[in-house]
Amino acid sequence: MKEHNHHSHQNIYKPAVMKIVARHDEAPGVKTMRLEFQDPADHELFRENYRTGMFGLYGIYGEGESTFCVASPETRKDYIECTFRQSGRVTSALANSDIGDLITFRGPYGNRFPIEDFYGKNLLFIAGGIALPPTRSVIWSCLDQRDKFGKVTIVYGARTVADLVYKHELEEWEKRDDVDLVLTVDPGGETPDWKNKVGFVPTVLEQAAPSPENCVAVLCGPPIMIKFTLVSLKKLGFEERNVYTTLENRMKCGVGKCGRCNVGSVYVCKEGPVFTAEEVSRMPAADL
Amino acid sequence: MSIEVQYRNRAKELLSNGEVKLVVGYTGGTTPERRRPVFISSAEQVDRLVLDDLCIANLSGYLVTESLLSDEKSVAVFLRPEGIRSINILAAENQLNPDQIVIFGFEPAGNTIKALDGTNALEFSEFVVSLSENPSVSDSDPVIEKLEKMSAQERFSFWQDEFSKCIKCYACRQACPMCYCRRCIVDCNQPQWINTSPHTLGNFEWNIIRAFHLAGRCVECGNCDRACPVNIPLRLINRRMAVEARESFDHFAGLSMTQEPVLASFKKDDSETFIL
Amino acid sequence: MPKILSADKLDNCIERWKSSGNTVIGPVRKSNISAYRPVEKASEFELDIVLPDLSIKELFFPQTEPILKYAIRKQAIDTTEFLPPSGKRIVFGARPCDASGVAIDDPLFGWDYRDEYWFQRRNETVIVSIACVKADDFCMCTSLNLAPDSTMGSDILLRPINGGKGWLVEEITDRGRDAFASIADLLQESTESPVPPAAVPEKFNLEACVEWLKNPENFESRFWKEISVRCIGCASCTYLCPTCHCFDIQDEGDTYSGIRRKNWDSCSFALFTMHTSGHNPRSTQSARWRQRIMHKFNYFPGKFSLNKCSGCGRCSRQCPVDMGITETLQEISKLLP
Repeated sequence: MKEHNHHSHQNIYKPAVMKIVARHDEAPGVKTMRLEFQDPADHELFRENYRTGMFGLYGIYGEGESTFCVASPETRKDYIECTFRQSGRVTSALANSDIGDLITFRGPYGNRFPIEDFYGKNLLFIAGGIALPPTRSVIWSCLDQRDKFGKVTIVYGARTVADLVYKHELEEWEKRDDVDLVLTVDPGGETPDWKNKVGFVPTVLEQAAPSPENCVAVLCGPPIMIKFTLVSLKKLGFEERNVYTTLENRMKCGVGKCGRCNVGSVYVCKEGPVFTAEEVSRMPAADL
Repeated sequence: MSIEVQYRNRAKELLSNGEVKLVVGYTGGTTPERRRPVFISSAEQVDRLVLDDLCIANLSGYLVTESLLSDEKSVAVFLRPEGIRSINILAAENQLNPDQIVIFGFEPAGNTIKALDGTNALEFSEFVVSLSENPSVSDSDPVIEKLEKMSAQERFSFWQDEFSKCIKCYACRQACPMCYCRRCIVDCNQPQWINTSPHTLGNFEWNIIRAFHLAGRCVECGNCDRACPVNIPLRLINRRMAVEARESFDHFAGLSMTQEPVLASFKKDDSETFIL
Repeated sequence: MPKILSADKLDNCIERWKSSGNTVIGPVRKSNISAYRPVEKASEFELDIVLPDLSIKELFFPQTEPILKYAIRKQAIDTTEFLPPSGKRIVFGARPCDASGVAIDDPLFGWDYRDEYWFQRRNETVIVSIACVKADDFCMCTSLNLAPDSTMGSDILLRPINGGKGWLVEEITDRGRDAFASIADLLQESTESPVPPAAVPEKFNLEACVEWLKNPENFESRFWKEISVRCIGCASCTYLCPTCHCFDIQDEGDTYSGIRRKNWDSCSFALFTMHTSGHNPRSTQSARWRQRIMHKFNYFPGKFSLNKCSGCGRCSRQCPVDMGITETLQEISKLLP
């Protein structure tokens, strides 16, 4: 088999090389890394193509690639930030990498949150646990052009106080006058000095009762949380077409070939990961 | 009364009086010479059961399907002698409770089949012992004879050739009643014990490791061999391992429900020819 | 006047094609398995069969293929690409179901992101199919709106003439015309009529089955569990299928150097869709079999306007428990009003 070092054609499976420039422990087993492109050409492609909601395949040669979102916003493209839970082979290797180490990245892939369509509207962000990262990308993409949007409400919950991610940013949002932040932890997950809500996200959301009027909701979380939160949103009067969410199916290729992210008529890697609740409702629920 | 009718009647009776919740048997297949597994759960359906000399597959693997036996209800299953030995092994390895298994035993007799006496594994104890005393290993398979005459190098290239065909579909594993692991070693990736790629090295690793995992456990039912879509003669490897287990440790797989696994147990008089 | 390629000229053709840089490939039986393999001479072909055991897919999408080589140095990672082997190929004696199977996968490997491993091979390969005059109980091309003499995916279609003396030549594409221009002098004019294609009875009404599949109410029908209860979850149906395209990406080596490969994978396996969290969208074999059928006859056609099945019947022919697409669609037919 012939080998090639030149870019005579575009190899869709060839990743870019990234350097870890910062690393932060978010929660037990959860880390955030800031990555910088090593090849300006790769960076240029990212600048051209990245929009909030897209994902990438982060890899360590010898271990493989793992799929998660780009957690940094489309308004900040000098770097990529990603947040992941150490659970499988690749994420364990990533978690064991240090500042200065090189890793790989393929992407950005998939569709995006159409934030231009959100201009002039109120925004409701709802996230559970480790699903704040994709939401955070949209949050900052909007907060970085704050004047284009109406009221911004963020409802975020985790199992325990320790499990909340981006604690420093939660503090920052808490302090802002132009953001309403509602934090909650599951019953039993609170600490003695916890001053925020205790309760599951759907319940807390219903108590907060944000108005569906001229409002778009962005909802990310584990499948079970999504399921119940959609019910709550419906109760509050949100229409399915105004609720956006992301699907996080297992992926290998990221480019619509390998077949594993297929659910119903969509290939999540190409036609997703961002869908409206209306689109998700047309998918076979049992396969989600 | 033919054995087929006899067993249909028994199946009907067991299902009607609730003694078993399910009968795993055979029915007609796509072509006249094909038989396929069938799951009968009501007395009205027992006429679908077919039993003749074309019923070859070892159906015991279905019994360890996740949660099938967890409600403690009984299941009846059509088994050849190899299948009965499989039940013994699965019981010895704590994969099923033999009291939940009702056996419809049969064995080939010339061009036809005959029923075996007994309904549960315990009742077949003497029968299985008699099998061990007359191992039919000497079935003259011309390929075995050819292989035995080969030099180690020739044999290696024979298997290299055969394994080069492997497409890693894992039909051998899925068809094997003894391959019940929830997570097969080839599916473990921390560390990656076995190369998953279907190239010569990966194929060797897979097939050799599987042979070792079956050493002293394989009852030579032939499920793997028949399932292999690229016709690798897997029976030859397993048969060789069975001969080794017998010659080195006087072990006949599936002899009883209390038999210890040959490669996981130690006896003081075990041959230790591999230790110099 | 129609042209005939006479069987006794086949060696000359092979020689001619090889001398112009082609690898000639066709059905060959080796180690008790028939598959599309390179040949030196015509006598190596095994043409008198219903179809080879292994499909033509592996010529374009090998079971395992190195895509990248990596070497990790102190402050750099070297990534070297493996390109698909280039070189002209002529596949002689392909079955029409295999040729159409390849064409069915073209849009998948090409939508937005082009998989050059597939397309480089596609562009350099001429598929010379032979219309089937034999079929077995598992053939079902006619149920898929195809036929034993379909031209889909073929560059040349040959129709056997009486007595096995040769084949009537039908040129389908420019690529096929070019390949046969180089052997024009070896062809003869003839008025002989071809042997009629094999009779393949229609096994099910595809359109009606697809309607049933499209109805969301049927997604959770008990049917799926009942039809697949004996499925043992091996991948032989998907690996033998000329259109199943799913794959895995695996690294071989260590954290210093190694090779990244593309390997066949299958929707039959539980691990295929298992999330790291342990959640598995398709955690049962019946959900996986439903996915395979849905993908072939509902999702894929919805996207690419092609049925993802060419009717070769290998899935049923080889299934260790005698399942397959035919049985499933036949059983669906029985549920229809």
